[in-house]
Amino acid sequence: MAKSYDYLFKLLLIGDSGVGKTCVLFRFSEDAYNTTFISTIGIDFKIRTIELDGKKIKLQIWDTAGQERFRTITTAYYRGAMGIMLVYDITNEKSFENIKNWIRNIEENASADVEKMLLGNKCELEEKRQVSKERGEQLAVEYGIKFIETSAKASIRVEEAFYTLARDIKAKMEKKLEASNPPKGGHQLRASEPQRKPTNWLSRCTIL
Amino acid sequence: MPVSTEHYENEISDGRNTRAVKCSYCQSAILSPAAGTFMRNEFHLPLMKQIKTSELNPEKELISSFWLVPDMYTFQNVGFSNTVGTTKFLVCADCEAGPIGYHDLQNGKSYIALSRVRHC
Repeated sequence: MAKSYDYLFKLLLIGDSGVGKTCVLFRFSEDAYNTTFISTIGIDFKIRTIELDGKKIKLQIWDTAGQERFRTITTAYYRGAMGIMLVYDITNEKSFENIKNWIRNIEENASADVEKMLLGNKCELEEKRQVSKERGEQLAVEYGIKFIETSAKASIRVEEAFYTLARDIKAKMEKKLEASNPPKGGHQLRASEPQRKPTNWLSRCTIL
Repeated sequence: MPVSTEHYENEISDGRNTRAVKCSYCQSAILSPAAGTFMRNEFHLPLMKQIKTSELNPEKELISSFWLVPDMYTFQNVGFSNTVGTTKFLVCADCEAGPIGYHDLQNGKSYIALSRVRHC
């Protein structure tokens, strides 16, 4: 059967525990039906399909659940990652301050051209806010990355955040392909990524 | 142990799923039409609704009708659980209802239980 997609992007969710990463794990709907069995063993990753400019894009999204301390996240975890969502909790000052540590960890361990985005989650809890939207924006400017406030719980802008990150990765990839491969008539751009088969997460499982 | 009764002749054409496969609870798209291959394969899949006291030893059901999906990127949307033995359980990516099937780490293939999803 022909490949059912044009691009495959591996994305990671990074941030302190309790910031709601698990909820951000691309939950579009609110019909939460979480069975006891599944919630006991936990979700490792999700595959999502989105469409951008007529291209089918598969997103493989990993959560860091269970290994949240940034010191424990090493090169193996970042291998092959093309996008990283840095998530903090707007009601938790410490989680915001730790974003700098996470970014340092990414710089030390991840590929230099990984696309990053900053997410201030739990924006439905306005009355408990400790981190202003301006501070989030400022930090994002400082690192030259995009910023968005989301509420995974209330399904606010989570989808938008992933589309934005995916669009930026796609643009970067197409630019790279064009540079190394000047377009001819009818030339089709294609990511080299789909070559990475299930082994990428098998290898990752060894550090769990 | 419950055994699901399975009559799915109308759902299969040329050995593949005639209609799209969706979550029974939230309608999240799991497989496009013809993305899965019908196969008989006996597997004891934990029930979606468990009694709380049985978490460590989940109540299971023998399922024998599956949509075989050799490449995990064929899925529209799906979640993979953490590993249990040589298996990852499959769940709805949206509402996390599951298991709707399983992924075999030894052969890299995924299996969606026909009785745990909606065809529409």
